[in-house]
Amino acid sequence: MKIPLILVAAIILAALLGPLILPWDHASIDWDSVRVGLLSDGHILGTDDLGRDRLARLLVGTRITVSVALAAALVALVIGVIWGAIAGWVGGRTDEVMMRIVDGLYALPFMFVVILLMVVFGRSIFLVFLGIGAVEWLTMARVVRSEVMALKNRPFVLAAEASGSSGTRTLIRHILPNVAPVAVAYLMLTVPQVVMVESFLSFLGLGVQEPLTSLGILVNESAEAMDVNPAALLLPGGVLVTIIVCLTLAGERFRDRLTRTGRAAESAS
Amino acid sequence: MGQLILRRLMTAIPTLLAIIILSFILMRIAPGGPFDGERPLAPETRAALETAYGLDKSLPEQVVQYIGNILTGDFGPSLVYRDFTVTELVAQSLPISLLLGGLALILASILGISAGLFAALRAGKWQDEVLMLCATLLTALPTFVTGPLLALIFGLWFGWLPVSGQGDGVSWLILPVIALSLPVAGAVAKLARAGLAGQLGQDHIRAARARGIAPLTILRRHALRPALVPVASYLGPAAAGLLTGAVVIETVFGLPGLGRYFVQGALNRDYPLVLAVVTLYASLIILFNLAADLIYGWLDPRMREG
Repeated sequence: MKIPLILVAAIILAALLGPLILPWDHASIDWDSVRVGLLSDGHILGTDDLGRDRLARLLVGTRITVSVALAAALVALVIGVIWGAIAGWVGGRTDEVMMRIVDGLYALPFMFVVILLMVVFGRSIFLVFLGIGAVEWLTMARVVRSEVMALKNRPFVLAAEASGSSGTRTLIRHILPNVAPVAVAYLMLTVPQVVMVESFLSFLGLGVQEPLTSLGILVNESAEAMDVNPAALLLPGGVLVTIIVCLTLAGERFRDRLTRTGRAAESAS
Repeated sequence: MGQLILRRLMTAIPTLLAIIILSFILMRIAPGGPFDGERPLAPETRAALETAYGLDKSLPEQVVQYIGNILTGDFGPSLVYRDFTVTELVAQSLPISLLLGGLALILASILGISAGLFAALRAGKWQDEVLMLCATLLTALPTFVTGPLLALIFGLWFGWLPVSGQGDGVSWLILPVIALSLPVAGAVAKLARAGLAGQLGQDHIRAARARGIAPLTILRRHALRPALVPVASYLGPAAAGLLTGAVVIETVFGLPGLGRYFVQGALNRDYPLVLAVVTLYASLIILFNLAADLIYGWLDPRMREG
């Protein structure tokens, strides 16, 4: 659990601080050294076809990928928790209708829905994370709902109601704090999903747009030049894979630990 | 069984209709049209074009007309590839995508199921740990990283296999199919392992073992079928994963499949093309979910009634 998280933290820290130290930024062009290899003219990783420093682009790309992922995961968290909590708490017909909608949306080819949204509303970074968040909340809603339903009849909830706490207050003050650990576990699993979707879109040219960059764009650019500079492909790809693998592993461990201690046994299904 | 299929189709058709109508409306309210070039067109030309493509009618009329056309196999003209209808483009490119996806699905099932079953039989030992770590790695590796990487290693460094385009024979298929199947294989392995490990702990397996039946016979006769239920239920998501993966793989390896046209269409705002592909993909995924339900019933008789 620790090593993956430390790795991810190191990558994020480098992405935050690195660009401050480097003499180049991600979009500026060094006309004297276009398309040079490793360690030449002060460019540690060389430059790309337009003479932009690869290291600076890698760090800025990581920064953008991670921030888009966090923003999108938060959108998914908010929608999922609200949707799931209402469905689980109100129950009955409302619950049934709300969960039917979730089931229906699950059947959609959601990657194509995101692409459709991009085509329709233009390709902007804001829409990228809003669009991704809007399709990635489904699992969160299911998990939160079953968790709320499991907690609903616990003695402490009944006690809160008996002492005159209103329905909304009980839900917000007593139930949601107990849902938080499971929600965090699934948030950790949502982030790598979103990283994957964002880089997928950017790789195809449908996500983040130039002059901004992201890991997906970098993989795409360097895949075209991999015969001359393989390192250029291995690095953005490696960073991307490290983020996804580490967060997935940490999230799965965290979720399994919660499930094993029995707190979230019902939500595993 | 017939009833189950009927009931599923009853829900599948409205879902499909909803997807078509929704994406159609989204496409139409989008700012910017296919005729917004750098030079504005003369109003008469524009009006003539819009009449020719049926864009001057009201929205509901357009939707109804579109669905009617689809039913006769007519997805309209492509707005970017001017000399082709969308149906022609799809007819050209769909076989390549289906070949790619079908082979990848087969490869992923073989790899995934055998790795998963082996891991379950060695549950808790190092083989299990290693295989499951590999499976997690595979599911986390995006196709747009593995694709170029495989092309780099086997295509450029070793020079064994072609890296782009559609050559003679089958060698051009090898790298794309492998790259496409890896994430699905990882997911299948995880599900197969969980399925079999769950089965091996059951009472009827312990009873069979107590009666002295050979382990392999127990596996084949009693444990295998129910163990594969989770794998079968994954067929729908797997199809979706292969279709999205194919979009990337066709772009990376330069194959003229449906996914590549989809990306081109999305970048060029070729509405009819994008709509046709979304409709096709949605129906394919619904079909695969239906197939999953049928296999489900065959693997686990208890499901047949429900």
